[in-house]
Amino acid sequence: MQTTQTATPVLEVAHLEKVYGALGNVTRALNDVSFTVNRGEFVGIMGASGSGKSTLLNCVSTIDSATSGTIRINGQDVTRMKQAKLSQFRREELGFIFQDSNLLDTLTARENIALPLTIARTNSAEISTRVQDVAARLSISQVLDKYPYQMSGGQQQRVAAARALVTDPTMIMADEPTGALDSKSARLLLESLEALNRRLRATVLMVTHDSFAASYTSRVLFIRDGKIFTELRRGDTDRREFFDRIMEVVAMMGGEGSDAL
Amino acid sequence: MLCKLAWGNVRRAGRDYLVYLLTLTLGVTVFYAFNTVSMQVDIAGIKEEGLSELMGSMLGYLTYFLAGVMAFLMVYANNFIMKRRKKEFGLYQVLGMGRGRVATIMALETVIVSVGAFVAGIVLGVGLSQLMTFFTASLFKTQIANFHFFFSVHAFNLTLACMLAMFVLTLLLNLRAVRRTKLIELMGAERRNESIKTRNPWIAIAIFAVGAVLVGVAYYRLLRDGFPLTATDTKLQEAMNQFGITTAMVTVGTFALFWGLSGMLIKLLQGLRSVYWRGLNMFTVRQLAAKVNTVCFSMGVIAMILFLAITSVTCGMSIANVMNENLERYNPVDVSQTYVYYTPETLDYYKEYVNPSEADRMVLADATVDLYAAWHGERKSADNNDETGKKVNIADVAGEHVQIDSYLSYPLGGSGPSVAAGEMCKAMGEKLPKVLEGSNADDMGLFVTPASQYNKLRQMMGEEPVSIGRDQYVLTCDMGGELGDLYTKYMAGGHTLTLGGHELKPATDKSDKDTAAIANSGLGSNPGTVVVADELLSQLNLQPYASNLLVNYKRGMDVAEADELIKYTMLDNLLVDGKEPGSWGVFMTRSELYTQAAQMNGMISYLAIYIGFVLVVACAAILSIQQLSNVADGSRSYRVLAQIGCDDRQIRHSVMAQQAVFFLFPLAVGLAHSFVALKVIIELVSTFGNMSIGGTVGLTCAIFLAAYGGYFLVTYLMSTGMVRAAIATRYSE
Repeated sequence: MQTTQTATPVLEVAHLEKVYGALGNVTRALNDVSFTVNRGEFVGIMGASGSGKSTLLNCVSTIDSATSGTIRINGQDVTRMKQAKLSQFRREELGFIFQDSNLLDTLTARENIALPLTIARTNSAEISTRVQDVAARLSISQVLDKYPYQMSGGQQQRVAAARALVTDPTMIMADEPTGALDSKSARLLLESLEALNRRLRATVLMVTHDSFAASYTSRVLFIRDGKIFTELRRGDTDRREFFDRIMEVVAMMGGEGSDAL
Repeated sequence: MLCKLAWGNVRRAGRDYLVYLLTLTLGVTVFYAFNTVSMQVDIAGIKEEGLSELMGSMLGYLTYFLAGVMAFLMVYANNFIMKRRKKEFGLYQVLGMGRGRVATIMALETVIVSVGAFVAGIVLGVGLSQLMTFFTASLFKTQIANFHFFFSVHAFNLTLACMLAMFVLTLLLNLRAVRRTKLIELMGAERRNESIKTRNPWIAIAIFAVGAVLVGVAYYRLLRDGFPLTATDTKLQEAMNQFGITTAMVTVGTFALFWGLSGMLIKLLQGLRSVYWRGLNMFTVRQLAAKVNTVCFSMGVIAMILFLAITSVTCGMSIANVMNENLERYNPVDVSQTYVYYTPETLDYYKEYVNPSEADRMVLADATVDLYAAWHGERKSADNNDETGKKVNIADVAGEHVQIDSYLSYPLGGSGPSVAAGEMCKAMGEKLPKVLEGSNADDMGLFVTPASQYNKLRQMMGEEPVSIGRDQYVLTCDMGGELGDLYTKYMAGGHTLTLGGHELKPATDKSDKDTAAIANSGLGSNPGTVVVADELLSQLNLQPYASNLLVNYKRGMDVAEADELIKYTMLDNLLVDGKEPGSWGVFMTRSELYTQAAQMNGMISYLAIYIGFVLVVACAAILSIQQLSNVADGSRSYRVLAQIGCDDRQIRHSVMAQQAVFFLFPLAVGLAHSFVALKVIIELVSTFGNMSIGGTVGLTCAIFLAAYGGYFLVTYLMSTGMVRAAIATRYSE
């Protein structure tokens, strides 16, 4: 199915390196990582704790800076952007979903979803319609006026997803989005992401160490010790089969199966 | 090892400790510096007996009270630090450190911070006290003859005692906190998805509206009724009750305002859709609302404290200013002595209560008596001596002198004044000055004085005499302000007065205030006098009220020496044909009043600055700590904002807006209250003289605002630092 899409690269990562620490005591979190994500792809990044997957996501999402290498999103090299430009870039091109939903406690769901739009100074009438639309798509219209503490974990994550989607970002970054959810809520969220990807052609980059979550994607990159170990394409196989293939790779990578749920 | 850990902790948690340290240091500085005032008085060379002791003991007692305020503040600040560090203390315990050792670490930290603040505070305090000496000298209007560096052991000990007490209190509370908290709570102190105490916005708006109405009505009532200071006995209770109601209204109203504030803000801004849904406004308002709900009570308290501080400082210093500014007018001569005659109203009272043993010889006065002769001792011998046994005769001291007789405006045996301010107001269609409302000053009416005496005083003061014809009058009043204006207006308007059936026209077009004093006094002696021609007065046969003898010392005589000598002149019982028509009243030397005024001025200024400063700093510190704690709690939110593409500038603006509301709203409410209260106070004081808010008051307020603003600035800068740190924290791995 993916092969039928026009292969415009949305994200191009080339020779990315990230080094922590000073002389004599360096940790190479990312070591010469290169890959490409095309428009409309749903890509998973898997790896054990400390493999560098979150560092990768942080660098791609411009929250952390790379030591060397380039990251192009929509053709723009984000490693060379100034701080002020980066904020604007994050606002306009990226949407974030985190492990803990990271909703603002003091704001209602509606306000949380609207936040990226108000920051971008969209006019209030448009904000209202866009929030309603995205809420309807993620079936959270009924909780729009609730505060985060009044919602279930799954609802919170879907509100967070709605916040990520409301600006129509070029790419959605999801960092262990199911990590804090029970299995039913996790499935609901993953199905929503899958649907967004299929129906709205949203590009999603999801970091996870959960093989089940990864099986919803169309391609999985495996990272070990700061390098891309291998990658797996789903092709036309169904999700169950893809899951089995993922488990095989995980087992091969060194008994990391214990890490998967 | 524990010491090392504690020291490391203090250094690392420096930012948390900064406000705590700053406030404690300021406290020590101010405590020390103000408790050296008595020593400064000595150094400034003010040789007033008992002054330094009086100032010392008053400021000392005040220090205990203010130490209480500071202790409350310190406990509050300390709680904030402990809350922030629960997890750390939990970690120590998880790692197997006993509670006792955790407590020791904490105690050591408290010691380090307290000792640091104490040393810094004392050093600053010693410096400040040297500077203050010059201020003290100028307050008491002296020059420093012999300045030298000084250190007050007394002030040091007092400050140390207060700090020790505070330290022990904080320590006990900290230990209790460690002992009582459960490990699981300590570790999980970083909460997620905090539940928000929301209030029904409509109820909040209603409460806010009620608060606004209460405050408004209280303002109206205060402006209408004034302070219950001038009411007479019968009306006093009633007035006090009314004032109590007003006070209760403004207090309840203030708290209601803060309680409803958040709901009000939300509804107001949500109404303005294009404002609410723009930038971080929505976030700012929600954040404010959530926090205001938890701190509305302390904001109310702060507003009230700021109100009290501003009002009492401004008011106290202004009254002192009025006294100082008008001192020359109030004290026309070197020394004055009053003699008050018995009237039908007072005679029985004197006979029964004041001096029953001599009731037989007390009689109604039907004429004034010559005071100089009585004081001079010609009628009877004066037999008191100074230490050397030297007898002093008033004639040895007195140079020029004049007696001013004040009569009531009705004839002997009559009752009720024929000239009274109330009637004059009615004639002009004016409102009676507030100070006279319901007071018995108006029942008594104006005094009447012969022109010859008035003109003699003018001559003594180097002024031309005023010619007053048989059908003319001049009004005099040394109190200035509203009363003086009233009299001037009356004369300028050409209004006539009727005295004993004679209609009198004004002799000039304005009342006299500069040569109007009839005795030396601190706040004026003449509330209103009609000066008439002598021949008219003798015809009217008026009831004598009082006579004042105003004396200047002999030319070339040393004032201090004369002041000393005049103590040994004797006032004989003044008997006219064996009968006593009145009793001796106040004796006042000009120098004594000048000294008193200067002392009062110094005293009020110091009390006002001391109390005001500590209260303002305490309020600002509480606000600051609350805000820092808010930012610390909200660090996750700021991180999220940064991640979804909010730039630094927007976040800083939001922080600034939130903190501005917290700092400025209580200040605004406090200022509004003060403004209304001061308006009433100024009106009241302006009866005595033109009250000016300026000079020292301006400087004091500037210092307060600088302190308050300084805390605001420090808080804001620290907050942006915390926000920056929160944003930079990597959110996983």
